[in-house]
Amino acid sequence: MNNEIKKYYLFSPSLRIAHWIWALAISVLFITGIYIGNPFFIGNVGYSATFGDLHALTMNYIRLLHFSFGYILLAALILRFSIIPFRKADRLIIPKFWTKAYWENAFDTLKNYLFITKSHRPYIRNPLARTAYFGLFLLLIFEVITGFAMYGRSNPGGFWDKLFGWIIPALGGEYQVHRWHHIVAWLIILFVVIHVYMVIREDILEKDGEVSSMVNGNKFFEHTPADITDV
Amino acid sequence: MIDGKETFWEALKRHGVSRREFLKFSAVITGLMGLPPAMIPKIVEAMETKPRVPVIWVHGLECTCCSESFIRSATPLASDVLLTMISLEYDDTLSAAAGEALEKHKDDIMKKYHGEYILAVEGNPPLGDDGMYCVVGGKPFLEGLKKAAEGAKAVIAWGSCASWGCVQAAKPNPTTAVPIHKVITDKPIIKIPGCPPIPEVMTGTIMYTVLFGKLPPLDSQGRPKMFYGNRIHDTCYRRPFFNEGMYVEQFDDEGAKKGWCLYKMGCRGPTTYNSCGNLRWYNGLSYPIQSGHGCIGCSADGFWDNGNFYSREQNIPFIGTESNADKVGAVAVGAAAAGAIAHGVISKIRSGKKED
Ligand code: HEM
Ligand code: HEM
Ligand code: SF4
Ligand code: SF4
Repeated sequence: MNNEIKKYYLFSPSLRIAHWIWALAISVLFITGIYIGNPFFIGNVGYSATFGDLHALTMNYIRLLHFSFGYILLAALILRFSIIPFRKADRLIIPKFWTKAYWENAFDTLKNYLFITKSHRPYIRNPLARTAYFGLFLLLIFEVITGFAMYGRSNPGGFWDKLFGWIIPALGGEYQVHRWHHIVAWLIILFVVIHVYMVIREDILEKDGEVSSMVNGNKFFEHTPADITDV
Repeated sequence: MIDGKETFWEALKRHGVSRREFLKFSAVITGLMGLPPAMIPKIVEAMETKPRVPVIWVHGLECTCCSESFIRSATPLASDVLLTMISLEYDDTLSAAAGEALEKHKDDIMKKYHGEYILAVEGNPPLGDDGMYCVVGGKPFLEGLKKAAEGAKAVIAWGSCASWGCVQAAKPNPTTAVPIHKVITDKPIIKIPGCPPIPEVMTGTIMYTVLFGKLPPLDSQGRPKMFYGNRIHDTCYRRPFFNEGMYVEQFDDEGAKKGWCLYKMGCRGPTTYNSCGNLRWYNGLSYPIQSGHGCIGCSADGFWDNGNFYSREQNIPFIGTESNADKVGAVAVGAAAAGAIAHGVISKIRSGKKED
């Protein structure tokens, strides 16, 4: 073991750009989405119904924002997934359930989070985080599929309808699609709250430059991380 | 009844319809089926040459609202359709005859026109207890339905019952009622959902099918595209108020009087496909939204199980019907944030101890 702090370059620029794009997109999507589900906080703006949306923050405009950021989120996800084949460190979102190390390290981390042990081994990215990110990506993909399916139904048989329309009968009708889209929106925000907390906690306790790693790509470790073979 | 070989035009003539009236009628139904005027000669030709198609109309678990709707069709008149367009050989609610004689007639027709007749199904079969919850002519409807479907050229599923299951299939579905496509798997099925469907949609579909001898273009769910191609929401005349954010908040408020959008009153227009917005009801007189009530989604799959008709609040299925996704979500996120702060404080204290 060496006691020198070593710098590890982990996150590629594409990954970091994708991260901040979806962080922004999800924030906008959540706020506009909740408004669409229950338009309560703006109220009518009193213009003529036909021309009002040219002037103010109307339902029409909020829906336009929602759909635009839907496209942006989709673009960020495509960017994130397209880099997976090319760089090992970009595959850190895959939880390796099938390895022994996954379970050992997961328990090691969990015990620390439950205050059973005082610290956990250093990780590039611990198994719990990997699993959470993987789960988040599934939720985001679900949101994109259901979102574009609803979006596409204003033009049945069109591009989005052909691509994602199958989810509507699979969930038991379009009303159910709205419902699940709505419920999953909350699950994603639940993730965000916990994620931001965990990131800041890690930064303060482990002093590994966690928060800034999503800006400059680097983390700092005194001891060699247990999952170093993954990068 | 009448020999199935008679053509539509012959049947009309027999009823004293003039050539001029016949041509006018052909033009009207061409428009109704959503076809361009260029198709009028084709329709006329079909009317002159195609033999009338025998139709068997059966009733399972249902409320007869589809039949009630059908007989109110104004363009074309239901009577025109029944007496000249099709040869309705069996319908246990509309027929004057009843009992064993009628049942025997049905069997004869099924044999004579095997592979040629159209089967129209109103209602659906309950599967529970071997189908004993719906008995027609002394036999479970399930049995009769399967038998009638065997020799049918095509099947029309009238209403939400036959198409999706409707109220009898709503949770907990005590009789295990199922839409007809669950038991008829080897025949083309046209779904005409609605509770009931719009009369002109019913007659329009049946005319298209008999005149062209084929199914109308169907969407991915098996519904005719010309009648179910758009959401109520996308054809609604109140849509500008939706876009603008002008909503009825209560049925007796200013917005309600001014005819604003009924979205916040639970309107299901955004998730429902039907022709109410363009064909409307009662020969184009009105439709629910026009009368100030939100759409309840009567032509949508599972509309009885989609919660309160007067609210858009989404409940969370595994928590219960009284849960509201926004309230549960806000509580969960709040709890997570509070938990995070508490966890952070404890973590900091414990890690401080480690360094000592
Ligand atoms: C909408 C909000 C956010 C979402 C959905 C989100 C999502 C994610 C995801 C999916 C990853 C995995 C990255 C990958 O491998 O592709 C990640 C990593 C990361 N995020 Fe976020 N994030 C959000 C906000 C934030 C914020 C506000 C911060 C900073 C305080 C942050 C800091 C980080 C860091 C440091 C990592 C790297 C974690 C590690 O090293 O394992 N994130 N985030
Ligand atoms: C993190 C991602 C997303 C979140 C948090 C989110 C959130 C929401 C919420 C809460 C609703 C209201 C649902 C309701 O009660 O009816 C909604 C509606 C909707 N969302 Fe999203 N959404 C996301 C992504 C997307 C994407 C990628 C699209 C694709 C274009 C999309 C399209 C839609 C559509 C079409 C509606 C229905 C709008 C309407 O009924 O007028 N969403 N969204
Ligand atoms: S009344 Fe219903 S269908 Fe019409 S615009 Fe409002 S929500 Fe849509
Ligand atoms: S407005 Fe909706 S509920 Fe009313 S008849 Fe039309 S589809 Fe059915």
